[in-house]
Amino acid sequence: MIQIWEDFKSGLILENPLLRLMIGLCSALAVSTRVENALFMGFSVIFVLTCSNVIISLIRRIVPEKARIPIFIVVIASFVTIVDLTLKAYFPPVYEQLGVWIPLIVVNCIILGRAEAFASKHPVLRSMADGLGKGLGYTSVLFIMGTIRELSGTGEIVAFGAKLFYLKPYFEPPKIMVMFPGAFFTFGLLMGLLNWIQRREGR
Amino acid sequence: MGRYFLLFLAAFLINNILLIRFIALCPFFGVSSKVETSIGMSMAVIFVMAMATMVCWLVWNFLLIPLKLGEFLYIPAFILIIAALVQFVEIVIRKVSPALFRAMGIYLPLITTNCAVLAAATESVKPGFFKLNIQYGYAIPEALVYTLGVAVGFTLAIVMFAAIRERMEVAPIPGPLKGYPSAFIMAGLASLAFMGFAGLFGL
Repeated sequence: MIQIWEDFKSGLILENPLLRLMIGLCSALAVSTRVENALFMGFSVIFVLTCSNVIISLIRRIVPEKARIPIFIVVIASFVTIVDLTLKAYFPPVYEQLGVWIPLIVVNCIILGRAEAFASKHPVLRSMADGLGKGLGYTSVLFIMGTIRELSGTGEIVAFGAKLFYLKPYFEPPKIMVMFPGAFFTFGLLMGLLNWIQRREGR
Repeated sequence: MGRYFLLFLAAFLINNILLIRFIALCPFFGVSSKVETSIGMSMAVIFVMAMATMVCWLVWNFLLIPLKLGEFLYIPAFILIIAALVQFVEIVIRKVSPALFRAMGIYLPLITTNCAVLAAATESVKPGFFKLNIQYGYAIPEALVYTLGVAVGFTLAIVMFAAIRERMEVAPIPGPLKGYPSAFIMAGLASLAFMGFAGLFGL
């Protein structure tokens, strides 16, 4: 039980896939323009990561060593197709915005990386905890970046049709924050902040 | 001829896959610490990308479309093609040119999870993912020109970035920002510069 909790917890900060392991960066930077997009992308990744971890952990004893990568990729691709078609059918506006990033979850290094490094060597429950933890770590970073970028870039946060924050009268939002360079700046500074905090704690 | 040139330019500069489209950031930050390795990686990418687009285009137009399976099977089909192709290319290069294999051998397996290859292949059969001003499907020469543009754009960005990062190793940067965080902020500045190409030739 403690072991499972540890597997879950490590994904949040210590082995956060984005800020610490530096994998799965592309999608994180691209979709964090708005809080809503960030949440949808985050939940898609949690779903694919957890399901593929469970399936790969179940079949880990019967998969031949040499053919494992193509087999893992096919498992992952099936779950990605489920997400792709579901979003397209039920959330067309969100699908329009996330666009190419949903199919690209297949080649998101987080998922293949966890399948290879964790799920193919550990029992089902631990793999599930690992998938949930890493996925949640990914989603929380996405959420933080989405909040920072949407608030500073547009002066307001609009999620699921409700206006949560409205700061437009107080400053002129720099549009660059919701564009491409803003993502790099936000992520770089976030990483620097985490380094700074850890350095202070270590002292 | 002019159309091919514009297509190349659109993929190469205006929609630069790394700095504007945020695709393939993992190898970008992973191997861009030395100029030499980044050149090896980009040569392998150009080669695999051109091959992958050709094969995916053929499979899409002659197999998936006639069987009406395109929407459901394109993700698993393309990723399997890419994975198989990478293995195949590795074997052929090892046999034909050991020197070339030594130069780019270690980068080849990494390319399977390089999202740029899947993205370029998908874009060339399902145009519109990147919201270029192209309403028709690509014919095979156009798909090839487009892919080459993407791959050369990858090369330009990664080699340029490696050269800058070599200098940044010795620059006086505040502690918590050393290494990756400053690299991200640098990428933000480079992305800002590339945004200047937007609108060139009305693309």
